[in-house]
Amino acid sequence: MRSEYIYPILIFFPVLVIQTTIIPFISLNGTIPDLIIILLVFYTLRNGQIYGTVLGFAYGLLFDLFTGSLLGSSMLAKTLAGFVAGYFANENKIEIYFKSYNFALIVLLCSVINSVINAFFSNVEFNSNLIVMIFQLGLLPGFYTAVISLISIIFYPRRNFT
Amino acid sequence: MIRFFLKLWDDFKEYIILVVLLIFSLFTLSLNKTPEIKNLKALAFGSFAAVTSVVSDITNIAKIKSENKRLLRTNAELMLEINRFRQYGIQNIELKNLLGLKESTKYPLIPGVVVSKTFSTSQSAITLNVGKNDGIKPGMPVIDDQGFVGIVYDISDDFCIVRTLINIDIKVTVKDERSRIDGIMKWNGDNLVIVDVPKTYDVKTGDRIITSEISSIVPIPLPVGVVSGITNVSTGIFNEAKVQPFVDFNKVENVFVIGIVESVQKNKLELNFYNRK
Repeated sequence: MRSEYIYPILIFFPVLVIQTTIIPFISLNGTIPDLIIILLVFYTLRNGQIYGTVLGFAYGLLFDLFTGSLLGSSMLAKTLAGFVAGYFANENKIEIYFKSYNFALIVLLCSVINSVINAFFSNVEFNSNLIVMIFQLGLLPGFYTAVISLISIIFYPRRNFT
Repeated sequence: MIRFFLKLWDDFKEYIILVVLLIFSLFTLSLNKTPEIKNLKALAFGSFAAVTSVVSDITNIAKIKSENKRLLRTNAELMLEINRFRQYGIQNIELKNLLGLKESTKYPLIPGVVVSKTFSTSQSAITLNVGKNDGIKPGMPVIDDQGFVGIVYDISDDFCIVRTLINIDIKVTVKDERSRIDGIMKWNGDNLVIVDVPKTYDVKTGDRIITSEISSIVPIPLPVGVVSGITNVSTGIFNEAKVQPFVDFNKVENVFVIGIVESVQKNKLELNFYNRK
């Protein structure tokens, strides 16, 4: 099997371990960044929209299974996040997208979609202002994930993008 | 016809794949309660928790020093409190003897360490390094030194998943410690709230909330939190009381599983009582 299919799955497991053990220590008022989304956007930008959609589905399935959460909720959210990230996949623009701020903006968009869908599919009672809820449930985790993605992309060697 | 479908596939394959995967995800959502899926999830999270427990141990070592300092302080505070309770205990024994009450049951405590946490606004859960082999059963309450943490939801041989109070699937019968008023407490995605509190009921900000003995999940009084505010609903006859939990769910690490599950015998007895003609 080709490496582009194996590596994302192999890398997923250590990232999930970090996500569930170390990342909770840097939570801000219960908001934590989602490293899986950063990984998903990274591979989607390199390999295209269909690849991103299927990878999002696979990441969601594994995430739900291994964390014991509601099976299907992350599958749905991450499939859509991968699909949206795929709109930015373009071989000619890959260098532009991997400039830190561009990558962070794409991560922000995908993370917001992922968080909001997750929240909607968890039957939360939206008895307060919907805008406030979307801000709290979607934008805050999205911003935090985008900031962390900035850090991760700074340390990534430039030559790998060409 | 085939050419039409091939053209359709070529033009819209991204969308077709997306729709198929979304339908499959929605279908999977409906299968969560089936025993096969439950077994598969127990196997998967059991294996994964074995790995996370190693990482968790390493991170815990780094935190032991500060944890030790905190525990020393807690220990001193508890010693003072125990002295106070000892006095109350003596009085209690005397009063119990007078009233001929039965001796309270001592509940077994099974220590556990959090090996991973799943943060979600509505489905918060933690994984503990104790499971079926340690005598854990689904439904057992979990506490830490601050109070009630949650309920064991799923188990494997060596690990278990605990749904914390900040999970919309948990609804607990609680009691106002001062006024002895019972109510149903749940997580609404934003706050812990006691719902449908009649406006005439005596619930005030600052009241301590404990689990109620009439609860079908936690039949013993465990500290839950304090009332942080009453939401006055202008229409209707009910209010909502917001509860600030004692436990900081972001920082919970060492816990105890209380080795009790609500008595089936008691439930059957009550059912017989209600069903009698």
